[in-house]
Amino acid sequence: MQVIVVGGGLVGSTLAEKIAGDGHDVTLVEQNRKLIADLNERLDVQTIHGNGATIPVLMQAGIENADLLLATTNSDEANMVVALVGSVIFKVPRVAARLRDPEHEGGFRRIVREPGGERVAINPDLAAVDKILSLMPVPGAVDVVSFFDGKLLVAGFHIKPASEFAGLLLSHLRLLFPVSPVLVVAIRRDGRWRVPYGDDEIRAGDLVYFVMDPAELDNILVLLGLHRGAERRVMVAGATRIGVSLARRLEEGGVPVTLIDQRREACDRAAAELDDTLVLHGSPTDRELLREEGADRVEGFVACTDGHEENVVACLLAGRMGAAHTFALVDNAALSGLVGDLGVDAVISPRLLSVSLALQFARKGRIRAVAALLEDSVEVFEVEAAEGSRLVRSDLSKLGLPRGMLVVAVQRDDRIFIPGGEDRIEPGDQVIVAATSETAPRLDGFIGA
Amino acid sequence: MNRRFDFYILGWLLLLDAAFLCLPLLASVMYRESPLPYLAAIGFAGVVGFALVNFYPPVDRHIRPRDGFLVVSGAWMAVSLVGAVPYLLTGALGPVDALFESISGFTTTGSTVIVDTTIVPRALLLWRAMTQWLGGMGIILFTIAILPLLGIGGMQLFKAEVPGPVADKVRPRLAATARTLWFVYVGFTAAEWVALRLAGLSGFDALCHSFTTLATGGFSTENTSVGAFSSATVEWIVIFFMLLAGINFVLHYRLLTGHIKSVWRDNELRYFLGVVVAATAILVVSVHEPGARIADSLRDSAFQTVSILTTTGYVTTDFEGWATLPLLVLLCLMVLGGMSGSTGGGVKSLRALLAVRSLRTTLHRLIHPHAVRPVKYGGAVVSESVLSGIWAFLTAYLLIGLIGAAVVAAYGYDLLTAISAAMTAIGNVGPGLGEVGAYDNFAHFPGLAKVVLAALMLFGRLEIFTLLALFSREFWRR
Repeated sequence: MQVIVVGGGLVGSTLAEKIAGDGHDVTLVEQNRKLIADLNERLDVQTIHGNGATIPVLMQAGIENADLLLATTNSDEANMVVALVGSVIFKVPRVAARLRDPEHEGGFRRIVREPGGERVAINPDLAAVDKILSLMPVPGAVDVVSFFDGKLLVAGFHIKPASEFAGLLLSHLRLLFPVSPVLVVAIRRDGRWRVPYGDDEIRAGDLVYFVMDPAELDNILVLLGLHRGAERRVMVAGATRIGVSLARRLEEGGVPVTLIDQRREACDRAAAELDDTLVLHGSPTDRELLREEGADRVEGFVACTDGHEENVVACLLAGRMGAAHTFALVDNAALSGLVGDLGVDAVISPRLLSVSLALQFARKGRIRAVAALLEDSVEVFEVEAAEGSRLVRSDLSKLGLPRGMLVVAVQRDDRIFIPGGEDRIEPGDQVIVAATSETAPRLDGFIGA
Repeated sequence: MNRRFDFYILGWLLLLDAAFLCLPLLASVMYRESPLPYLAAIGFAGVVGFALVNFYPPVDRHIRPRDGFLVVSGAWMAVSLVGAVPYLLTGALGPVDALFESISGFTTTGSTVIVDTTIVPRALLLWRAMTQWLGGMGIILFTIAILPLLGIGGMQLFKAEVPGPVADKVRPRLAATARTLWFVYVGFTAAEWVALRLAGLSGFDALCHSFTTLATGGFSTENTSVGAFSSATVEWIVIFFMLLAGINFVLHYRLLTGHIKSVWRDNELRYFLGVVVAATAILVVSVHEPGARIADSLRDSAFQTVSILTTTGYVTTDFEGWATLPLLVLLCLMVLGGMSGSTGGGVKSLRALLAVRSLRTTLHRLIHPHAVRPVKYGGAVVSESVLSGIWAFLTAYLLIGLIGAAVVAAYGYDLLTAISAAMTAIGNVGPGLGEVGAYDNFAHFPGLAKVVLAALMLFGRLEIFTLLALFSREFWRR
């Protein structure tokens, strides 16, 4: 597949790296010469220096034969032009554009409606809001992804020393949940990821991803030692674009919201736009203010100011007070690596979310849905087992799946089960597969006919 | 200030007044009454108007907000002076009474000093109803077009830049806006005339009552007001049209042009109708006597509620016999008044609504000291300057009302009479409570009290500040 990525920032370069890793030909267009030099050192992709929003540069990048075009610069306008040129003039079959401004997004949707090719707009802010909203019902979760139309839940939690899970052998998990399937798909320990087996043990301090029937969620929360908030209220720090649209969405869902910001004008704007949200003018790290407004009793505390360090501090403060579920908006890779260990429940990175969304778009072939757990290290796929593919040839234990790849669950005729080594996948089954990023590219070999 | 132009406008207004006086003149000829009083008034208005227009022509036609205060206040006083002439010359009233009746008419108040309407010439009764109708027309122009420009009492909200239901530029140009709304006003008047005729009223009674209903004036051709017709149908018709007159005419225009949704979403309308329903319910419960027909109690309660709230002031039942609670409800309704942009008086439901919201915000701030919570109306934030304008208006309204009550009280009247007389005057309602109640009149008040109450009517009608501005030394400084 010929892929063109326009924009070599964090989003563009990560995408280029991943897609090249999948074995495709990637050409990256970037205007900044210094950045190009860095990328050339780091990545195994072809780079082109120039303005990607111009036709000659795009032609130089080989747009006439491109199968996929990803516009990921920091400028909505530039991305819009790239996407327009790609879809209208060069008829590139699949085009994705990163657009933050809802107005631009709306404009782009009009192109999407035109027939001929697949086009998507990726909005990092919206993705962040969606992510937070999907995490909100699961207190303490780092990440939540649902599969099979919500009938199966994958959720990651930090294991506290007091948790019942600490010291549990994975093979004993079946004893705890005899009725419905609960499985551990991935464990992160000492900064490394592993796809575990029955003789592994859960330890305090691990980050553990469970696959479960949503009905078992409350039992798992109890065993984890987690609690739901005393009130249904959600506190949002930062009247930023993300903060305000999150508050609006929560409001629409009937959840009471408290929004805090230090900037008076931002408060005024938010108060004008929102109806029922309690807008407070003050610092999100003001302990007195947080206590006064009941941060200790909230169901969720979301810090999404523009200062990402401040977000972490605010979350730690609220978490220590007793907020059931803390979310910090952190777009800084170095910082986000640290935060989980500090005690912030979920780290939200709009940029990495847009990478994840673009990647899902790029990889969509036979793969139905892709979810990146904690962004890059373990990926979970929902695939359909095709007739004649390697997946259906023999029992699971004899398939020769690489270490690091795990068949998590199977849906067959409305029945969901966790398969054992002697089970066999049949054509037409919906299959959930977890794989580390190193092994993920090999999945195509198993599902291809 | 462009004083030459101001007087020029007043001159034209007087000429217009003279033209309208031709109708009672015609009536006097028809009813074989003396046409002289109307001829004299026409002559007076014509000469003064002609003089102002021709001997004092404006150099330029540029007008500033300050001119607005002078023209509007001057207009109401000038037409009231001319309007008093027929009362005086027919011998029906003395000079002070004539002026009181005329001001009560043009301010669409409806408080009367005529003890017995049956012995007054018919043409004069027509003129009396017409003064209210003309006053109502003036009010529509004043509140829709001029008040927002002056920006007083929080009515900047009417300015077109506010989005939502209060953006009251119905049509882009001021003259076109006024014409459109007058068309609605005249149309409703005609509709009520037809309805009342069908209900059995004489053409003359129907016309006079249509005039005074749409203006929310309340002058009646009968001593016992609408109650004299003893007809449930007539009363329901009048209730309906009083309600229409108490609603913002811009909303009527929208409704007639098919914008039903925007009308239904209007905050002020909902509030206004809510008050009607709530007050009617309280009255029914507290006034209904065992043995009486519930339909009658309901009709009486609805009639009094709508009549007083819209500041029309018609009466169908003698509410002087009512208990204290229903009287208090009536007193509150007097102060509340109709919707902004209607012909009703009082403090207007928009101000009451925003004042309540502002109170709620203040209370909220006590509990959450850091909260940023603007007062909103129709989805938009109401600015602090609008709110302070509203609070200033309410303060001035009550203060001036209190002064009026003090004057009445100084003549030895009881508290209820004093307070209700002041509130009915400044609210442009008509009847008060106590000695100026349902079937009473204001004739027994001493001259000074009448003058003060007439001043209160002007203050109320001109939204306090338009008139108050003239009392400021700053205003007259060049």
